[in-house]
Parts: sequence; C-alpha cells; structure tokens
Amino acid sequence: MPSNYPGFKYGADRETFSAAKVKALESLLIEKGVITGKTVDTILGYFETEMGPFNGAKLVAKAWVDPAFKKLLLEDCNAACEAMDFPEGMSGAEGEHMRIVENTPEVHNVIVCTLCSCYPWPTLGLPPYWFKDPTFRARVVREPRVVLSEFGVQLDESVKVLVWDSSAQIRWWVLPMRPPGTEGMSEAQLAALLTPEAMMGVATVKV
Amino acid sequence: MKLQHNLGGLEGLDPITPEIEVFVEPWEKRIFGIHTAMMALSNHLDTANPQYMIDQVPTTFKSFWTWGHLRMGAEAMHPFEYFQLRYYEKWLGGISGFFVSEGYITQEELDTRTAELLESSEKAEAPLPMGGNPAIDTQVVKYLREGDSPMRPLAAPAKFSVGDQVRVKNTLVADHTRLPGNLQGHVAEVVKVYDNAFTYFFPTADGIGTPMPVYSLAFKPEELWAESLMDPNSLYYNDIFEVYLEAA
Repeated sequence: MPSNYPGFKYGADRETFSAAKVKALESLLIEKGVITGKTVDTILGYFETEMGPFNGAKLVAKAWVDPAFKKLLLEDCNAACEAMDFPEGMSGAEGEHMRIVENTPEVHNVIVCTLCSCYPWPTLGLPPYWFKDPTFRARVVREPRVVLSEFGVQLDESVKVLVWDSSAQIRWWVLPMRPPGTEGMSEAQLAALLTPEAMMGVATVKV
Repeated sequence: MKLQHNLGGLEGLDPITPEIEVFVEPWEKRIFGIHTAMMALSNHLDTANPQYMIDQVPTTFKSFWTWGHLRMGAEAMHPFEYFQLRYYEKWLGGISGFFVSEGYITQEELDTRTAELLESSEKAEAPLPMGGNPAIDTQVVKYLREGDSPMRPLAAPAKFSVGDQVRVKNTLVADHTRLPGNLQGHVAEVVKVYDNAFTYFFPTADGIGTPMPVYSLAFKPEELWAESLMDPNSLYYNDIFEVYLEAA
C-alpha cells in the first residue's frame, strides 16, 4: 500500500515560514549581542574545512595500510586522531570519546542513535538525514539485515550483525573492509573511496 | 514512557529513505549554527573539562545550554507533534522558544520580524546584520576544538564488572531520559566498564547528572524482541549509565 508519510519534504509555504523565522531569530540575536554577524558562518565553515568525514577517511585509509596504526585506532580512536596531521582539536566537540569497530567477512557493524542523533563529529562531521530519521532509528535495532539490504548491503545469513547505539558519552563509527583491487593504491587514493555511509556501516567500499 | 523514548523496534514503518544530505533546506544550517554557538557560549563552561574563561567572553548569552537542554525540548513535546516535525523544525521551535522564555527576545519581536521577512522578498534576501565582538567567535572556535568532555573522576567503584548479567530498571521517565524505553526490564551482559565516570551536566528526574560509571552492554535479540522481525544472528549494544541498572 502506498504510504502518505512525507519523509523529509514538506510544502513550500512551510519551508518559507521556517526560513523567515530562523532569519528573524538570527538577526535579533546579532543585534542583541548574543552572537556576531559571523558566528553561524564561522561554525558552518569549520565543518566544511576542518571537522568532517574527510578526517575519518584518512584514518581508515591509514589503518588499511599500517597494521600498527589500525591496532591503535581500534584500541583508542582519540589517540589515533592525535597521531594524525589533523587540524588542532580533532578530539574536540562531540568527539571527546570515540570508538570504532571493524567489519570483517564474519562480522558487520552498523551505528544508530535511537534516542536522537549522537555522532562522532571530528571523524564523520555532521550526520546525514537518514541517520536522524525516526524510521531508521526504530527499525535498524530490530531488523538490521533487512534495513541494510534497503541501503544496498546484502549480507549472508552467516554474517553476524552488530548494532551500536551511540550515546551522549560514547560516539561509535565503523572501520569498513578494504575492497579487493586496491593493492598498490596510496593512502590518498584509498581515502577518496570512502563515504560517510561506509563508515557508518550502511554501505560497502567500492572501487 | 513517551513514543519518542521508545522508538526501538516499532513495527509497520516504511522502507528507509536514504537521504544523505545533512541539511535538506538552506535555513536548517542557520539553526544548527545558532545551537552550536549556544553550546559554545554556555555559562557552565567555566566548570567544564577543559575549563573556559566563559565569563570573560563578551556575549550577552548568560544561560546554561547543552545537548541535554535541546533534547529535553524535543522529548517534552507531545509525541504526535514530535513525529510531524522534521529534525531541524524541532530545533527551531525549541531554540526560539528558549530565547523568548529567557527574555533575550520577545515573542512579539520574533513574530513581527518573521512577518516582515515573509512580506518582503527584498528583506528576505537582504544580508544579515554584521558586527559584534570577534572575541565571541574566538570562543566558539575554541569550543569546537577543545569540546566539553563529560568524563569526570570516579567517586565510588563501579558496581558491575565485565561478564556480569545486569537488568535495565523500569525507570519512571519524565520529560528527558538517556535510556531507550524498549530496553527496560531486559537483561544484558556487561562487555566493557568505561574508565572514570560520566556527568550529564545537570540532573534529570530519572537519576543521571552526577558523575557515575557507564557500561557497554550487549543485548541478545531474543531478549529484546518477539520473533517477528527479529534477526537471530545479531547483537545490540548500548552504553548505559549505572543508575539505570540492577544485578540480574
């Protein structure tokens, strides 16, 4: 039966109203000295250039080529971040305590935040909409293999699926499997293959 | 327990909408930025880990604002309204309501300004006001780099150890919790005891707030779910505050 659930799209009037309301709020906050005219753009720029999934991609690529680094990443994600040539603070906001779990041919990991949208900002940036969607949050904890198949990840029944619910305290993410056909690639080439979805466990890495 | 605290395992939903964008409308970026600025300017940061000289930052924002405050607003909503609003619509409602209730702006100011922007496309497209003290933005970036770790010294030894079976208590929930409702009454195995203790920055009615141990728990699917939709070859993990647990 077709569903009437609107997903993420609503009527244009509703978006126009929200756009006006948030602009009204931001302009009043600037006028009253709560924030400056540059505060919001400064924050958005930070997530475009310093804190984003490009950091996670570099960590995964390095772990794929360096077994000692992979061991460090799995044991202490924040120490692994410190060991990278990252901008200062990549164990900062919303990444103070991060943990990563490894996908293997026998075990597949996927992350969720059933209560809201907790996410490791320094390594993955900001969460995509599907992660914040109540439908994903409700279903993946109970029928993870079916949900993964809807994302295009087909797992054999013999593969154990581990679901990691992120919390305010601990932020989880996934070390995906290195795909075949990538022998001889540089870390930069490997990093370019990674997507946020692969590092959340709802996609595999493709060449 | 409200539906928004008890989402796990809900039946009869649609296939996943794999929308990979972080923001689906440009306005959503602005409310995300305002919330992040509020966290970076919160008055509790002089006692945070690391400590900030927050009282010297030249902002007029003098309130206490953490993720918990934002979550509490969304969780306090009527459940049927919660699910009618998109993610950042809940933020916009909660945050603008907070600035009104704390007296930074009046509802009339906000409504009048919103109406002006809706009436005039010229005003709607005009740039935002500039200016403000750049030291505010210095603090915002400092917060993004250094964070606000909830880790604190352990006051008393952890009650449970790796390998213990624990049961999630049937906690009475008010307007905010960090315990998914579908876990209540169920038994899990402790697979990790995290070092130190974790604060929640303010007390909740269901007992978190003061620094306490947090455990990584593994739940078997047959413990959580009836047979339908259950995946027998899966495990579910959650990191749970000690106050929510008892020996099984």
